[in-house]
Amino acid sequence: MSGVGFGRPLAHDSVLHRRNPTVKLAVLLVVSTVLLAVVDPWTPLALWVLALVAVARAGRIPWRLLLRAQLLFGPFAVSILAVNCVTRDGPVVGALGPFEVTGPGLAIGLSLMLRTLLVGTLSVAFVLTTDGARLMTSLHQHVRLGARPTYAVLAGYRMLEQLPERWTTIRLAQAAREPARARRQGSAPAWLRAARTGRGLPDDAARQDDAAPREWRARRGGGTRLPVSPRALARAAFTLLVVTLRQGERMAVAMETRGLGAGPRTVHAPVTLDRRDAAFAAVTVGVCVAVIVAAARLGVLASWGSTFG
Amino acid sequence: MSAPAAPTGSGATGPAPTGPTTAGPATAGPTTAQRRRGLTLQELVLVAALGVVFGFLYWALVQAWAWLQLAMGPLGDLAQHVLIGGWMVVAPLALYIVRKPGVGIVAELLAATIEVVFIGSPVGPMLLLVGFVQGAGAELAFTATRYRRYGWGVFVASGVTAALASLALGTVRFGWLTQDWFAYRVGLELVSGIVLSGILAKVLGDALLRTGVLDNHAIGRAARAARRGDGGDPGAAPAPAPQQAGA
Repeated sequence: MSGVGFGRPLAHDSVLHRRNPTVKLAVLLVVSTVLLAVVDPWTPLALWVLALVAVARAGRIPWRLLLRAQLLFGPFAVSILAVNCVTRDGPVVGALGPFEVTGPGLAIGLSLMLRTLLVGTLSVAFVLTTDGARLMTSLHQHVRLGARPTYAVLAGYRMLEQLPERWTTIRLAQAAREPARARRQGSAPAWLRAARTGRGLPDDAARQDDAAPREWRARRGGGTRLPVSPRALARAAFTLLVVTLRQGERMAVAMETRGLGAGPRTVHAPVTLDRRDAAFAAVTVGVCVAVIVAAARLGVLASWGSTFG
Repeated sequence: MSAPAAPTGSGATGPAPTGPTTAGPATAGPTTAQRRRGLTLQELVLVAALGVVFGFLYWALVQAWAWLQLAMGPLGDLAQHVLIGGWMVVAPLALYIVRKPGVGIVAELLAATIEVVFIGSPVGPMLLLVGFVQGAGAELAFTATRYRRYGWGVFVASGVTAALASLALGTVRFGWLTQDWFAYRVGLELVSGIVLSGILAKVLGDALLRTGVLDNHAIGRAARAARRGDGGDPGAAPAPAPQQAGA
């Protein structure tokens, strides 16, 4: 997972990788909108299982990665289940601590939980199979997104890629400069003391043989020794904001000096949109509709306030 | 950025000469673009940068918060109302900096887009709608002042309108009205909207202004105009941007 960065797709090729990003986004949008109306647990359960198998096959996404994603969304999903269980009126079917669990609460909670997992799975599949730059190019080409918004988001995409690294840099720099923390830990390492006082750095560093590199390696590797107080994190977050805004300003000036937005543009690497994308959209939405129709036939489909079938 | 900042900071909103022209070959566009109602590229990139940082911070926050939410059991769902303001803060902040109609909505939409299509979210594309509604809610208070007043009262009002808009959407999405705790949800969300969205946006904006990074934006121009005495005629004496913006 460490190789997967923000907005970077998995490095391999697959059916999902090759599909048009705009079409993929539209399908994701349609499916999650349709599901808003469904509140029985069975329909989202069936779709979730189908989606897991489908993205694992068509996107060649490793199961380990999919499982991790489910765990990531898990707490969010379970808490939705828990709150719905205990806050809805209806016949009581059990107890959760001091709270009574109702039948309708359990059903709606399960439904919303499975919907969260389903939409989460589809979103992760989208992110893992879609290149950010290709998505923006496609939106520019196929949805006529203006050049300036397109390139603004692309600039943002570039900033996002560098963000984790930038965050680490800021955290390391602040930790190295914070005297209070070093004092708390007894004596600061000699190289750090020397760096602060500005005296005796070469000699001390020489005597300490490679203490400094080892110290840095420890910080880089584990990261456990960085201060985690809310204050330290807030300071780092604010610095991250300032640094990124400054970078954004530089990028904007660079783009303006190159005449971006001054006239009609051509696209460097056009994204294709063909019959296979239409087939993909038809199959995906078709399966979704088929499951809902099947659920209605079986009499398990439910929506807010009513049950069909 | 070693070159002097592009003359976007000239504050030429009136029929004044076009900026200080200290940076000879730099872009000539901004002075005309500035007068347009739409956003300049510089402003769009600023909003995108805000969206990126807040998208990333939200994502990091969610990782930590999800487990807390689980630990709180059934009450965990209420935790979102405590934190909801934090998710909306980017809209009033962007409005405070850029001061143009629609910026709040654009900022929320961009932050949501970045979360959905680049980071991945369990909420999915629905987050775009959430962002739109929250942005529109937060912007309402500023629209009421015709984007002219940026005092504490407006930010508090913005927190209230954002919280109400977000509540309305949540009620539709999750059926909160038929749950038992609706009054708690309303109360928590209003407090969170005022503190974490409205007031925090003003605090953040003022802190960012002090760093000098916003000198070339409307907020920096307004601050310079205020420092000169009155903000009545900002076009009368276009001052060059202070140079601490570079570094």
